[in-house]
Amino acid sequence: MRRGARAALLIGWLLVLAGLGWMVSQRLHVSTDLRSFMPAPTTPDQRLLMEQVGEGPGSRLLLLAIHGQSDAKLAALSQGLAAALKKDPRYSQVLNGSFDLGALDERLLPYRYLLSPTLDTQPLDEAYLADQLQQRLDDLSSPAASLLKGLLPRDPTLEVLQLAERWAPATSPQLREGVWFSPQDEALLLVQTAAAGFDPGAQQQAIDGIRQAFAALPGSAGATLEPSGPGYFSVVAAAQTRQQADWIGRISTVGFIALLLLAYRSFSSLLLSALPIASAALAGIAALTLAFPEVHGITLAFGFTLLGVAQEYPIRVLSHRRAGEDALASVRALWPLLLTAIASACIAYLAFYASGVNGLKQLALFTIVGLLVAGCSTRYLLPHLLPRRVHDVADMRWLIRARTFVDRLPRPRWIPVAVAAAIVAMLALARAPFWQDNLAALTPLPADLLQRDARLRQALGAPDVRYLLVLEAPGAQGVLELSERLQPQVDALLARRAADALELPSRYLPSVAVQRARQARLPDRATLQRALDQALQGLPFRADLFQPFVDDVQAARTLPPLTPERYAQTPLGQRLAAMLVPRDGHWLGLGTISGVHDLAALQALGADTHGAVRLLDLKAASESLVVDYRTRILQALAAAALLLVLTIALALRSLRRAWHVLAPMTLATFLVLAVERVAGVQISLFHLVALILAGGLGLHYALFFERDTGDAAEQRRTLHATIVCVLSALLVFGMLAWATIPVLRAIGLTVSLGVAFHFCLSILMAPHARED
Amino acid sequence: MLDRPLVVSGELSWLGGDRLQRRVEHPQRETSTIADGEVTQQREGRSPRHFSLKRAPQLQVLLDSFVALLGGDAARLQQAFEVRQEGDARGAWTLTLVPRDARVAKTVASIRIDGYTNASRCMHLQEADGDLAVDLLGPLAARMPAEPTREALQALCQSAP
Repeated sequence: MRRGARAALLIGWLLVLAGLGWMVSQRLHVSTDLRSFMPAPTTPDQRLLMEQVGEGPGSRLLLLAIHGQSDAKLAALSQGLAAALKKDPRYSQVLNGSFDLGALDERLLPYRYLLSPTLDTQPLDEAYLADQLQQRLDDLSSPAASLLKGLLPRDPTLEVLQLAERWAPATSPQLREGVWFSPQDEALLLVQTAAAGFDPGAQQQAIDGIRQAFAALPGSAGATLEPSGPGYFSVVAAAQTRQQADWIGRISTVGFIALLLLAYRSFSSLLLSALPIASAALAGIAALTLAFPEVHGITLAFGFTLLGVAQEYPIRVLSHRRAGEDALASVRALWPLLLTAIASACIAYLAFYASGVNGLKQLALFTIVGLLVAGCSTRYLLPHLLPRRVHDVADMRWLIRARTFVDRLPRPRWIPVAVAAAIVAMLALARAPFWQDNLAALTPLPADLLQRDARLRQALGAPDVRYLLVLEAPGAQGVLELSERLQPQVDALLARRAADALELPSRYLPSVAVQRARQARLPDRATLQRALDQALQGLPFRADLFQPFVDDVQAARTLPPLTPERYAQTPLGQRLAAMLVPRDGHWLGLGTISGVHDLAALQALGADTHGAVRLLDLKAASESLVVDYRTRILQALAAAALLLVLTIALALRSLRRAWHVLAPMTLATFLVLAVERVAGVQISLFHLVALILAGGLGLHYALFFERDTGDAAEQRRTLHATIVCVLSALLVFGMLAWATIPVLRAIGLTVSLGVAFHFCLSILMAPHARED
Repeated sequence: MLDRPLVVSGELSWLGGDRLQRRVEHPQRETSTIADGEVTQQREGRSPRHFSLKRAPQLQVLLDSFVALLGGDAARLQQAFEVRQEGDARGAWTLTLVPRDARVAKTVASIRIDGYTNASRCMHLQEADGDLAVDLLGPLAARMPAEPTREALQALCQSAP
């Protein structure tokens, strides 16, 4: 190709990349919600888990502690922060212990007689009113006078205070200066975010909002705000992982560039060989933005990792060029093998698409599009741009010696049998549990963070994130009625200290039936007025003082009962909305539990309700979900393996040759598993993904080593290309294996081991060297 | 709110520091303690009630004025109130305290203390909504009329002992 045409091709290619880049920057929305990386839940408990993990009352709770100042200043900061956050729509509930009449909407005030249980046992008769009014009189002469004076005309029985007490957290921390304090002299706040707890991006915004509001408060400079809770943890874990992945990525990129420069001694070759990879990544993301409204952050991270396979395509082209040979000719010679490799990799990733998990579908689309673009651009574009004169690697002296060494290695036929026996023995010997089902174990949090969380949770009486009491009924009212029927049993359990607290939905909203019953007990205007007049006898209150009270009681008599829908528009309604959720034509009530002492007693709670009431263990449900997930991936892999055998056998047109390619690959894959098992590593989903990547790389090694060209120089080039590929993979993933975060270490260790085993086994089991 | 004044009798004691205790003997036994920014109210046969001093600004004012007066802390008094003092030749005097904090002034308009020579006799707490609390102190407490009126109490406080 002429110089001008080459320049035009290069500029055209770069322009297309720039165009793709622009499109991606316009359309790409990265989501961070980890749930899209989980399989579609199948059982009702799993479905509930998926919602609870993100939206459950427990997981959206942030626990805040402020310390480092005097009590009075901390209390002022707590009040200021609560006031600021209450105005912010990112937070659905803010509690700091201060008594808040505003929690009950002004318009809902007459509803207090329907919401409070007072009327169940106590009619509004003369005796009750007289007793209450005498108490109010004592209140007026007491220090509490200024507190209650405003309420008195409208609410002489202090029904509002009873509701406030009923709705206060079951075990509240010590009150100092009017706000919650921990025994460690920290002011405590509970904040419920509107965002899902398992969405690190949204939680990051919520936490940033809290920090900004705190920093804007006067006097906050000397105090420290420390958040805790599931949402904060997801932010910490994501940041930790990103930070380590970033610095490891930087080091290995520098090493990778140095390695390629050393191998090919051509700067322009290096730059040009980056073009297929850049095209692959951009085309992959562009395809994702077209097919999905949001792209998951993990898809991108894993996707770039899996695209590492594509780096081999240009490396093969560079290594296999003979001196003076046209680049196009050398690519043509390689193409059948490269195409087989690309097709097999695409088939393996297709298995991900079949898994049905949204995140994995995205991953499949990204890598398949990426691999095809990388392969085609390596075949049809790159050769036209490569420099004409190249240095033939086949003449390097070390390479000749290395090839001789490799050729002299003994290749006994029993190697596969011995390796297989070793694998079986190691797998049989390993004692630790095979699978790691606890997702949390992969992104562990610093122990001091967890300790602080446990301490704050205990101080605040915040609900446990692990257990939920699930109440199921055809309608919302049915759930509330069930919850009311259950209340006496729950009270008995709490009295026996089976748990520290158990909040049922009916605590916030009684059923319509109960509200109607209370309405029926409210006296009419004349009766109430008569009782009130008699009760006021001998008391110094002005006769018409309680007119607003009489009006409110009259209003309450004719109110339509409060339903969850109407209630949802108030601040307290938000609390209820988290505890009462519709599901598949049914309604579920969620009771939050804190401080579980007697699990069996809680489980027995719903024994005779035929499943209408049951204790949900979110940890068990999440583990069963992971097991399902893994089963699906394994099934997909089995299907992919079968397809792979067919593809390779068809491409090579020989079962015997296919055996020579697939046997080392399979043995190496199981060898990695066996070695990790003996080392006590529990296998997680991330190990499986890493094994697939290593398998893809191993397939290349085996395919190229199996190729019988009968040309010693070409054999040397194959060895050169493979060594460069192995070293670059070891460099990138070997670095990851040193990471302290288990997810990164899992991927790094597995791929490094895999690459090493695949390389050794495909050399030792290659057929042609023996036949030479 | 009331068409008759409310009369209670008991003891108010300064426990040192920012702590006050108010014990009511009549008509209903009740003990209230202000300590560490918290008010605790204990009434016979009922569970105690707690609330923050911040919710009851007039109690904060009462605490400030009492502690400053009893402790002889003029600087503290000046810090919390505008102080006005009047007296006559017979030895009767009146101290008027107006809260400086605008938030406090919304509930408590002023405090007036009547005295004679070296003894305080009455304390009037004028609330912003028009309610008035009058405390008869020391020997005068025994002379509380059964059906007091504002005028009668006013006269009692300013009479010579």
